[in-house]
Amino acid sequence: MSNYLVQLPTLGVGASLSLSSKPDPVSLVRAKGGPSFVEYSGLVDVDEVIDEVEKIRAAGAPVLFHPSYINFCGSYSNSDAWLEATSKHIESVGSSWFAQDVAYCFWEEGPGYSTQLGYFIPLIFNQRSLELAVERVKEVQTKVSVPVAIEPPPVAFIIGAMPLFSFFGSLANQTDCAILLDMGHLVSYEMASGRSVLEAIDELPVERVIEVHIAGGRLKEGNKDGEAGPIYVDAHECEIVEQTWQMLEDMLPRLPNVKAVCYECEGVNENSVLATLKRIRKIVREKSSSEALVMSLDKEA
Amino acid sequence: MSFQEQERALFDLLFDSSVRENFCKDTTAALHQYELNEEERNDFNTIRPDALELDAKIRADLLLSHFCRSFPVSFSVLSSVDGGLDILKSLVDVLTMRTASIERATLFGRRIGESLNALSFTSADEQTKVSAILEAELGMAWTSATLKREVLDNGQLHNKSTKLDQSWSSKNIKLAPYVCAAMIPESYEKLKQSFCPDAECDLWRSLNKKPLAASIRKKLLEKDDPRLFIARAHVSHMSQCEPTIGQKTAELSEGFASLFQHVNGTVSVDYILEQLKQIGAQDEMLQSIKATFQQLLESDMLEQV
Repeated sequence: MSNYLVQLPTLGVGASLSLSSKPDPVSLVRAKGGPSFVEYSGLVDVDEVIDEVEKIRAAGAPVLFHPSYINFCGSYSNSDAWLEATSKHIESVGSSWFAQDVAYCFWEEGPGYSTQLGYFIPLIFNQRSLELAVERVKEVQTKVSVPVAIEPPPVAFIIGAMPLFSFFGSLANQTDCAILLDMGHLVSYEMASGRSVLEAIDELPVERVIEVHIAGGRLKEGNKDGEAGPIYVDAHECEIVEQTWQMLEDMLPRLPNVKAVCYECEGVNENSVLATLKRIRKIVREKSSSEALVMSLDKEA
Repeated sequence: MSFQEQERALFDLLFDSSVRENFCKDTTAALHQYELNEEERNDFNTIRPDALELDAKIRADLLLSHFCRSFPVSFSVLSSVDGGLDILKSLVDVLTMRTASIERATLFGRRIGESLNALSFTSADEQTKVSAILEAELGMAWTSATLKREVLDNGQLHNKSTKLDQSWSSKNIKLAPYVCAAMIPESYEKLKQSFCPDAECDLWRSLNKKPLAASIRKKLLEKDDPRLFIARAHVSHMSQCEPTIGQKTAELSEGFASLFQHVNGTVSVDYILEQLKQIGAQDEMLQSIKATFQQLLESDMLEQV
């Protein structure tokens, strides 16, 4: 594995929060058992968020920026202006790396936030799509100075036959980038594809996985005749479903270089967040194969 | 080119309900309109139709929440009309979604306007009032989009500082750039308070759960306190990527609307006042009108030619 990934700081167990709504990031950071870092998905322009970010940092927590406007796949290339603003944003807030879902945030009409499409449009899992994803990731890497982490997105359905970890393993190796695994997104892939991700773990360069996410979701019943199973819907304000907890327990022992585990909890009340962070820390302690991550919990305590 | 055809098919499956319905019935037949080889077509065989439908529905809901912020009163009114919510949902289609994101809200608003005739209102007067409200909201969407485009194409705008000299009233005046005006049946703030009481929440979601009752719409629109609504789009946050546009608004009495028809760069305030004097307007009224024009010039709603 690239040396630069080993040298990244270990951030511990944190939370992904909205800067402008509840729960209040500063209050959570100050709470006993609160997050040791805060990840936020914000606007591209750093001056729109810097005041809020500085408050979080002053409370003692480093931050990670998680954009939602970069195309890491597909034919439509990223705008220089947006990438330059991203680079400035990341440097200003001291984000040690940045991650984003590999999906379409904008279409040929031009750059913008994924909200302009409702939310991310899922990627296509085939060879040509992989080649274009390599182009897109490299395009971002040339503009942004910190490591890029690619994240499999949530999916309701799958297009293409290439397995998830084959696609992401190859993409990470070809671009020498890091990987973020969201446990709910993996559950969504399993439900949409009928494939087990754990059975394909050998396809994934697990040492490149530096960050893990866990978040709430909903299970929607499938078609009327009940042949198809449920469909996973990413919904951070909801409770974490049992399949996602199980995925965390199954994945952590296989990921030796995880630096950060993040609970995405926008819209969840503070007491629930603290209780969930406690449960996550317990699982990390019991299951994680990342020594640095486990040691960081001792420091937090 | 074939991968781009795959992308085109993916986009259509998400935003074109007829393509999606055909696909759910017969995958192969639905994809014939795209230039795909067999292997590329087969990539779509892995799609679960029920999941595709769910994705499209959730996506449309999120987009409608977004559009609802530009047209809050219009959305609320439409929720009270039979078929109104369905019309709004039907407008999230490829025509809307293939439009550049900056101009999308404007197109969406225009299409709401085209749909109004298909809906049943209590009276022609009520429909006229609804159209007027939509016109005000559409005007703001349009000026926002125009200003945003201007900023993205040409960078920071340098606003002329408005300092009126002694002779200001003798100079011809016109509407300033990025200003829209519409006659509405009541103060826009009051309309929002009445029609969108849950504005703090996701209005689209709350209208879906509990549409506005037709009887409440009827009662609210029976009130008649018409205003000339004027709004000026301004850059509230400058950005090379995503400038944020705000609206400064003013409301004037109904009588002012007839004067506004002359604000087209060919006449001055003095000329308008002289015409009013000739038809018998009192000094007090003339002073009030002059002061209002001065305020509009100082707040950059109007400009001197």
